[in-house]
Amino acid sequence: MEIFTQLAVSGIALGMIYAVIAFGYQLTFATSRTLNFGQGEALMLGALTGLTIAGHIGYWLMIPVVMVFGAAQGYVVERLGVAPAIKTKSEFGWIMSTIALGIIFRNTAENIWGKDDLKFPSPLSASPMKVLGVNVLPMEILVVVGAVAMMLAVEFFNRRSIYGKAVVATSNDRDAAGLMGINTGVVISFSYALSSLTAALAGVLVAPLTLTGASMGAVLGLKAFAVAIIGGLNSGLGVIVGGLILGIAETTTGYYLSTGYKDVPGLLLLLVVLAIKPSGLFGKLAIKKV
Amino acid sequence: MSATPPAAAQVVSASLRASRIGLGITAALALAALPLLTSSSYYIHLAALIAIYSVLLLGLDIVVGYTGEVSLGHAALFGVGSYTVGVLVFQLSWPVWAALPAAIAVTAVFGVALALPALRVTGPYLAMVTLAFGTIVQILINEMDFLTNGALGISLRKPEFFGHRLNATEYYYFVVVVLGVTVLVVNRILKSHLGRAFEALRDSPIASDCMAVSVYRYKVYAFVISAALAGLAGGLFTYSEEYISPNTYSIELAIQFLLAVIMGGRKTRSGPILGAIIIVMLPNLLSDLELFRRLAVGVTVLVGVYGAFALAKQKRTLRQLAPPVALLVGLSVFSFVIDDITDYRLTIFGLMILLVIYYLPDGIVGFVRNTIGQLHPNWVQRHEVIEATGDAERTWQATAAGSAAGAATSDCVLKVDGVLMQFGGLTALNRVEMNVMRHTVHGLIGPNGSGKSTMMNVLTGIYKPTGGSITFEGQPLAGRTSAQIAAAGVARTFQNVQLFGEMTVIENVLVGLHHTFRSNIVDVMLHTPRYTREERDARARAAGILSFVGLAAFANEEARNLPYGKQRLLEIGRALALDPQLILLDEPAAGLAAPDIAELVGIMRKIREHGITVILIEHHMDVVMEICDRVSVLDFGNKIAEGAPADIQANPKVVEAYLGGVAEMEELGDGAGGGR
Repeated sequence: MEIFTQLAVSGIALGMIYAVIAFGYQLTFATSRTLNFGQGEALMLGALTGLTIAGHIGYWLMIPVVMVFGAAQGYVVERLGVAPAIKTKSEFGWIMSTIALGIIFRNTAENIWGKDDLKFPSPLSASPMKVLGVNVLPMEILVVVGAVAMMLAVEFFNRRSIYGKAVVATSNDRDAAGLMGINTGVVISFSYALSSLTAALAGVLVAPLTLTGASMGAVLGLKAFAVAIIGGLNSGLGVIVGGLILGIAETTTGYYLSTGYKDVPGLLLLLVVLAIKPSGLFGKLAIKKV
Repeated sequence: MSATPPAAAQVVSASLRASRIGLGITAALALAALPLLTSSSYYIHLAALIAIYSVLLLGLDIVVGYTGEVSLGHAALFGVGSYTVGVLVFQLSWPVWAALPAAIAVTAVFGVALALPALRVTGPYLAMVTLAFGTIVQILINEMDFLTNGALGISLRKPEFFGHRLNATEYYYFVVVVLGVTVLVVNRILKSHLGRAFEALRDSPIASDCMAVSVYRYKVYAFVISAALAGLAGGLFTYSEEYISPNTYSIELAIQFLLAVIMGGRKTRSGPILGAIIIVMLPNLLSDLELFRRLAVGVTVLVGVYGAFALAKQKRTLRQLAPPVALLVGLSVFSFVIDDITDYRLTIFGLMILLVIYYLPDGIVGFVRNTIGQLHPNWVQRHEVIEATGDAERTWQATAAGSAAGAATSDCVLKVDGVLMQFGGLTALNRVEMNVMRHTVHGLIGPNGSGKSTMMNVLTGIYKPTGGSITFEGQPLAGRTSAQIAAAGVARTFQNVQLFGEMTVIENVLVGLHHTFRSNIVDVMLHTPRYTREERDARARAAGILSFVGLAAFANEEARNLPYGKQRLLEIGRALALDPQLILLDEPAAGLAAPDIAELVGIMRKIREHGITVILIEHHMDVVMEICDRVSVLDFGNKIAEGAPADIQANPKVVEAYLGGVAEMEELGDGAGGGR
């Protein structure tokens, strides 16, 4: 039982990272019904840029710079890859172009930072603390706090500010929002910037716990897909629960079965959820209008 | 095109068919001669690989080109096929004639397991799930080393036939034969009712469902066929390489496959084959910097010349041309800046995808065809020309029998009992009661927003009612999908026309006749007598239906090119093809000119004479009053009146609903009846 609790605690930190990335998928899916298949690469770029910048100005000062960088990167993805596809209403277009941009980003990162994984120095003490008899890394607490704070901030923005209302309006009905004078193109660009910003932030949060490298994004991005589907593409609570389920499933499988299999249960769960409740555990199915 | 007399069209199509067959024979001869031209085993091996990838890509095109879904799992399915053969030969020494079919079967089963959950909802789910699947397969191949030998991989040898082990050249011929058969089979599937279903569900999913062609089911079919071909290709690949290891079947390969299909050209047979050549040659290309530089400059010059030409002819604007040309110039400059190409392989690959997606959406084959089509419209044939002629008798065949059987059961075709439809807080239909009698035209009228179209959508299963029940021919419709309701005999048209725009007029009707086919995929592949008979009958009936709605002359036009009024008539024709007991017409006269309306009324009369019950939503009151036997009136989701047209016309509640206020309703009564 003690081991299980320990595994669960590590799983929670991991799960919250998945949740933040999945939250990023939700942001763009809400406004434009599109997703960035290169979201994992946005996280990776954030982590690697953060690593370089932190060497000059330290971890804490680096965070806002990385957030700005992430937003800019997301904007570029939206302009180059998504906007033209939205114009031509081509699902194939945005899927392929965000994948292509992801490949280009990864390859560029390999050429700048090399192919090998790098060590991201932890800003907090690397020695675990005892909380209720369980070992917890201070960095794990930072990950959970950072992830929750990020999601709450976006929720607060959407609910309380006039710009947030424009985002919510666009999510509900893009055409109607457009007719009400909301520049939905800008809202979609904004949602992509915000989405990549959260991914970049997740990158610098998770990097001290894992290794940092050009290939770190692919698997994280994929797990977050699973989380987004399991939780529901339109449910904020869903991604947190989904993230926790996946994170804990992974650490426990890794321990009890084999680390080689640790990615399997989450992905199988994804198929099961789609088969039973395609809108996700917490999602609502949209009614299509004729 | 429409000006071409049928005889001339036939000649053109015959000569096109001849030239196509000629092209096929030339290609086959070229393939056969290849080993005579080069003795290099390297090139023979590459050629075999191209043929193997072509098999997979022809299958992938069914999913990507026809149904419009994105699969990132075809590399993994390819791997499943590969490893099925690998494991069966390595562990159990199965012979080739058993191992290859096993690869097809196993991969098809994986295809079912993926497609069933992933295609339940529309959206990017299939892409996401197949991406996850790709990762699982790679992990499993690596981890299940007791079966797959893990990262070490499996070695085996070329297959044996009758005790003779094939050498590389013989195996190449074997693969080419398999490719030839695949092209034939895929062609047959796509030209059959199955292919029409795949194409229809992409053009208009809603209309497909309402034509008893279940979008979900046919998307799953398409994916499974495609998976089976990927499995076949995987099995062939194992024998060709004689060594397989898990790393081959990466996401990168899956993306290459997609690039190949779109770059070659979707919805063609030649496109995927061209795409296979490109992706097989690509690694060679991207390893030789000098060659890449020349190619980059070459393509840039070509596109530049084409751009200048298009600009001079004012076919494209500078704004349209600037980005791709700038990208290509950038690529050329880039090729001279770098000194080691392998590090930038993926970047170049990504740029190619972006260029193709935005500037070559129809692929190379599509681009060439469009260009030729602009110069010589007769040289390009997008659709099979169907020359069937119908006879009036067979147009209605099944309906007469059906209505006779129906008449025996009861006089009430459709019973709507207390139907409640709520969208959140909005009540669109408030406990509506309605009985529709057999052989009548039942009008459903009401001001805009009164719930008429909602009623149509509830009746056809597009919306699930919040409460109440609907009984059709004594059977409750609750819990049935749109496709099941359509198959039971409820056809409809749409207020905003929902044709299969990229299909021809007669193909639209043939989709409606989908339910007349009993043939399965084996019949289609082998062209059994059952299939050829059913196809011939369906074509004759489709031609008959088109004559009935007056569209015979337009049979081989693309539906989206028809004028609006004709599109509405085509929708009615397509609905009749379903052999319905009940047909729902949603504002058929909207946007029609007066003579067309008269024609429409005639058509509706004939429909009723043939024993089909009609529910008619219409704003043209003269039409309603002229043809309806009974009229129900909705207002804000409530049924406010029902009765004979004349009574409705005089009903004060109806007048109030339409014109507002109760004052002077005596005078306004006629006005409401007059309609406009």
